[in-house]
Amino acid sequence: MIRKLGGVGAALALVLALAAADAPNPNPNPKAKDNGRDAEIGRSTRVPYRLTETNHFLVRVRLNGKGPFNFLVDSGAPALYIATETAAKIGLKASKDDFWTPLKSLEIEGGARLEDLKARVEDPFQLVGMNALGLPGASIDGILGFTILARFRLEIDPTDDRMTWTRLDFKPADPPVPNKEDRDRAPLEFQLMNALGPVAKGLAFIIGKQPAEERSPRGFLGLEWTEPEGGGLEIVRALPDSPAAKAGAKAGDRLAKINGEPVDDAKTARALLAEVRPGDSVGLTVRDKTGAERTLTFPAGEGL
Amino acid sequence: MAAAALSGLALAMGQAPVDREGEGAKADKPARVSFSMLPSNHMLVRAMLNGKGPYRLIFDLGAPITLLSNRAAESSGTVKDDAPRSFLFSMRGEAEVAEMRVGELTAKKLPVVVFDHPALKVLGEILGQPVDGIIGFTFFARYKTTIDYQINEMTFQPVDFEVRDLMRELPDRLAGPKTVRRTVTAPGGLWGIRLGPVEGGVSSPGTPIAEVLGDSPAQAAGLKAGDVLTTIDGRWTTSPGDVYEAAAAVPAGRSVPVGVLRDGQERVIELRPADGA
Repeated sequence: MIRKLGGVGAALALVLALAAADAPNPNPNPKAKDNGRDAEIGRSTRVPYRLTETNHFLVRVRLNGKGPFNFLVDSGAPALYIATETAAKIGLKASKDDFWTPLKSLEIEGGARLEDLKARVEDPFQLVGMNALGLPGASIDGILGFTILARFRLEIDPTDDRMTWTRLDFKPADPPVPNKEDRDRAPLEFQLMNALGPVAKGLAFIIGKQPAEERSPRGFLGLEWTEPEGGGLEIVRALPDSPAAKAGAKAGDRLAKINGEPVDDAKTARALLAEVRPGDSVGLTVRDKTGAERTLTFPAGEGL
Repeated sequence: MAAAALSGLALAMGQAPVDREGEGAKADKPARVSFSMLPSNHMLVRAMLNGKGPYRLIFDLGAPITLLSNRAAESSGTVKDDAPRSFLFSMRGEAEVAEMRVGELTAKKLPVVVFDHPALKVLGEILGQPVDGIIGFTFFARYKTTIDYQINEMTFQPVDFEVRDLMRELPDRLAGPKTVRRTVTAPGGLWGIRLGPVEGGVSSPGTPIAEVLGDSPAQAAGLKAGDVLTTIDGRWTTSPGDVYEAAAAVPAGRSVPVGVLRDGQERVIELRPADGA
């Protein structure tokens, strides 16, 4: 069942809102205040992103200075969507009378900033469903759709860990607002799909919410090293009061082994320490200038 | 909204990695593709599929897959007319377009999923012209893509990127043991700081530094205990986890800007992590 339904997911987000919309309004209001016209136009920012396990792009944003929150980059969505839970977290109250809720500022990680925006506070199924299944590998707090994305020239390279967004001198018009009656009277096909929404949420209980990833920082030693001419790895210093210093590591010592494994360069040392967590025991075998070897065993600390 | 209703389920699907042999575009010069905007604010491109068409396809950064309607898939020879359909949305499942041409770009062996998306049907009815499908991640992950809404133009330059095979991974993930995955994030170099607890929840500007160790790169750069780290090399550092993630992307010996909040003042300090751990 899941497999069969799967392909439906091309995230043509929110088409319904549009499908049910009044005739599109071609008037972009030429008098609208041109936000950030001066400094921001033409400015390029490097935007860190995450590709989820479901091949969705996530970037981080701050809303009215609060966050960070994970937002989907989705040109298939017509506007800026903020999940109701996210709105509650930042004290943003959805407008009762207006379809849009005003947002003072939106900062995008990397440095881009937009002001005086219109957002729709709502939980598109994409968010509810993906979050309930716990599959994308991160909670999703909203969607950056057309009205946000179109203000930038977007450069996306899946082999680069950041996108480049360059601010254009272009302010997209707001999408048409569905009138209330139409929203309540969706075509049968959509009602069917709406009915499937809760089913998908229920699936989370059947397959189980996917386990979270437990991220730990690497443990801290406090060692600076260098690769001297003639090979090997030499300790430049053990930072005062660091775990390595307390254990007796000294400048000028050669690092011979880490946890019993031979070390002859920095790359190997980094690899051998890559999985060490704070509190884990580390064994450093060092050789002093006389050639005498000793092994220092101590718990890795916290820090970087 | 209901159109998106099944998105969550899309997770179970996905497509095989693309085959990059025979890409049409040259690596040196990006291929240009112009698009038009639909009244629904979607980008529309005209594509020739297997020499037939043009077909009207929506370009969607939020779509994890590439999708074709039954009509388009049949008339372009992507699936046979008598291929079996499922009860739901007449789904035909996965297929492959041998050649797709859009603007200056030719893509070969493009995996697609064939079914009639109700939202596309409704959109087509409202527009008075059919919408034949959606171009999604499995297409654009082959390229360095630029999108310029101001001049209605996209460019594509092939890159070497392996598209994750959701189809193969997901059944395992769904059925697999529910153990927590543990990962360790290692900084690229030695900084010489210890971090303090973050305060303020969603209003927190960053991660406080609890201690700066002597003789360290952090001390040389002028960092002090009590400073709040706001960014490392342009990445937000709102939690210790963020700090390690950002530091992991900075190799030893490379100088990076570090944003610091001190006495209410935001300042930027250059710091060069040393080789070490």
